[in-house]
Amino acid sequence: MWFEAWEGNRARSGDLLQTLLGDSRRIFANHFFVKADAYFHSGYYPTIFDNREAFETPHMAEDAGAVASNNQGDENGFLGKPRDWIDAFSRQFYPSIHTHLDEGGAQGHTASSGDLGDNSEVREILPWLRLSAELDPNSIRTYTVTAYWLRRQMGKVAEAEQFLRDGLRENPGSYEILFELGRIFDENHHDADRARNLWELALRNWQKVELTKPDPDNFLFLQIVSHLAMLEEREGNFHQALAYMELWKAHSMQPAKVQGRIDAVRQKISSAKSLSLEHPQPPNPIPE
Amino acid sequence: MKESHSADQLPVIEVKNLSVTYRVRGTRQPDKLAVKDLCLSVRSGEVFGFLGPNGAGKTTTMNVLLGFVNATGGDAFLFGTNVREPIARQRIGYLPELTYYYKFLTAEELLRFYAKIFGIPKAETERRMDAVLKLVELEGARKRPIKTYSKGMQQRVGLAQALINDPDLLILDEPTSGLDPIGRMKVREIIQRLKDEGKTVFFSSHELGEVETVCDRVAILHQGELKVEGRVCELAHQHQCNLEQLFLRVIGYNNGSSVVRSESDLKRDQFGPSFQHSTIPSLHSVP
Amino acid sequence: MKNIFAVSSIVIKELYRRKDFYVLFILTVLICLVMASVNIFNDKGVIRYLKEICLLLVWIASLVIAITTTARQIPAERENRTLFPLLAKPLTRTELLLGKFLGCWLASGLTLLCFYVFFGLLAGSREHHWPVVNYLQAGTLHWVMLGVVIAMTLLGSLVFAAPSSNATICFVIATGILIMGRHLNKVALHLPEPRRGILYSIYYAIPHFELFDMRDLIVHNWPPIAWQVCGLATLYALAYAAVFLIAACVVFRRRALN
Repeated sequence: MWFEAWEGNRARSGDLLQTLLGDSRRIFANHFFVKADAYFHSGYYPTIFDNREAFETPHMAEDAGAVASNNQGDENGFLGKPRDWIDAFSRQFYPSIHTHLDEGGAQGHTASSGDLGDNSEVREILPWLRLSAELDPNSIRTYTVTAYWLRRQMGKVAEAEQFLRDGLRENPGSYEILFELGRIFDENHHDADRARNLWELALRNWQKVELTKPDPDNFLFLQIVSHLAMLEEREGNFHQALAYMELWKAHSMQPAKVQGRIDAVRQKISSAKSLSLEHPQPPNPIPE
Repeated sequence: MKESHSADQLPVIEVKNLSVTYRVRGTRQPDKLAVKDLCLSVRSGEVFGFLGPNGAGKTTTMNVLLGFVNATGGDAFLFGTNVREPIARQRIGYLPELTYYYKFLTAEELLRFYAKIFGIPKAETERRMDAVLKLVELEGARKRPIKTYSKGMQQRVGLAQALINDPDLLILDEPTSGLDPIGRMKVREIIQRLKDEGKTVFFSSHELGEVETVCDRVAILHQGELKVEGRVCELAHQHQCNLEQLFLRVIGYNNGSSVVRSESDLKRDQFGPSFQHSTIPSLHSVP
Repeated sequence: MKNIFAVSSIVIKELYRRKDFYVLFILTVLICLVMASVNIFNDKGVIRYLKEICLLLVWIASLVIAITTTARQIPAERENRTLFPLLAKPLTRTELLLGKFLGCWLASGLTLLCFYVFFGLLAGSREHHWPVVNYLQAGTLHWVMLGVVIAMTLLGSLVFAAPSSNATICFVIATGILIMGRHLNKVALHLPEPRRGILYSIYYAIPHFELFDMRDLIVHNWPPIAWQVCGLATLYALAYAAVFLIAACVVFRRRALN
């Protein structure tokens, strides 16, 4: 039929949401992603009529290390001074104090004892992130942000890993998701080999895709490279660690700090050499 | 404004030079004069028939008495109280022509609601409710919602609500409209019973036979003006005809054509061409 | 006063004998239960999304019930001709109007009670605590706001020709104020005169329903607001309701009944 030849015909898709909403589902996906950030702030969030300079990059994504921050301005006072008595009075009826859920949220902020409360309240952002991923499976940051909060704050490592694998299925070869998966194996499963494999794959994929762009995503590159460097250093592969650190330093905004780490690793290399000269390792015993 | 009548002579209904004009919005037509200079009085204990063809002004007059419409000129009084005051309606019962009531209520609930408005105490309400439901023969259906009632039953519940406050004046707008002969007979019986109890009944009807049977006095309205008023028997004797014939004569219905008859035409018909005003008694006979 | 209470009792009876409330309540319950059954990463403690959805449905349902119930009161009386035997009793038009208002308001309050009880049970089933003071404040302010909406709709029922058009207009106005009312002054700042003046006039003239919307505070477990603030908001609502009711009484007294 003529409509089947039409590009973007929704009837071809088996997904109900895609059939119903078409490409507009991405707008909804973004809306719910932002809603998750609003929940992260316990409802204290700028509308389209307010100054959003301090909320350009969602704080929950920023804290997760998933994206580079573009935030400027005053996040505590985006509302500004009340413009009239109605504005002043109305602030009693909606959240007007800046909080983060992982710092106690509304309860933690108002607790007189200073107790930050149960910071597992960050679970409340999960439904909206899940919905956002359903609506737009090609939005990588949804997977990485969700996985971060699932494993770091909620202790749900298996769920985080499964979610990332779902994201990888939808976005094959995604270096952001590979990096995040690598973090799970490194920080939670303590499986350095698998973490290394994943990060190296992420780095290769990044180079394949990003280097062709005029403005490559250096933020993610630095994350991959820095984690590889620290992994190799932890595993005692100092030469490999140094190689990654040199890469890291070349693109870092704070090369001096990276240089400090390089020097520390070199120190470790020379210490290891002198130790092996003083105390040569005895030969392995002959099995009886 | 109250006249200085003694209590038993105080008219129950008194209409003085009543005029009602309706403004026709949105068109360039002149205002419609529905009632013109109507003077009427109904005494206590009477059954008064208010007659006239469609559009004569009967319903408008009733609406003024009930406070639905404000008079453009003149005044109307119920028991000496101006009809503009709500308290004037404390002692009346009203049965509209089209009887629709709250379909989601039962007959009991409807009567309790109206009794509350009249300020009748609870015990008294229950007693009266039993009495009126028995009178209108709705005891068996008292707990059913009104939406399940037939036309006749709705008419009867209308009568019940008109009687719940034991009114001294009953205003009925075509009470037998839509009823079968048995229903009409029952309504006539109720009116007769009320009359025997000393109540005043003021009703409009197109059933002239019934009016002739039940009413003490009648008034015939045509094109907003009062044409004839008097006791039924006296009018019949005066005009040597029955009420229906008088009615048709008054509205000028002559062999299929409707002609507006002036008062002098009517008198010529009655007394012959040689009548003179000064020697002929007025059609508006005084009881 | 007895006449006003008598009329209001009929309105309440009408509400619970019609299907509107039951349909909306069951729909709300079903949607919330379906939403609650969704597995969110095997976490049974997630509740705020459910609270938000439930409260949104409660607000929509309450507005629908309040507006549709009120919009049909006087027109239905007139159309069904029940107005005439009613006003033939010693009952003034003002008493009738106030009775309708009170009946619609009390009926809305009863429906709100049912909805908020359900909401409390739903939220408490996962949170395992019941901030009764918060819910009481939210419910009270919601109910008070509905009083203004009902008074506005009652005035509309005397001004607009059909109940459906009145209901639509009132629903659009109420929803528009809830969404945009708070932001009109910000938008006005960026407009040139005379549009700025017009928008500011609208901003100050409209009843600000968002003052009674505590949903964000409830969803995100903020502490309750000060009772004095609640009291001031209530007085604000009563003032607006009084203005609408007085206007409605004036219009109704001048309106011909037939």
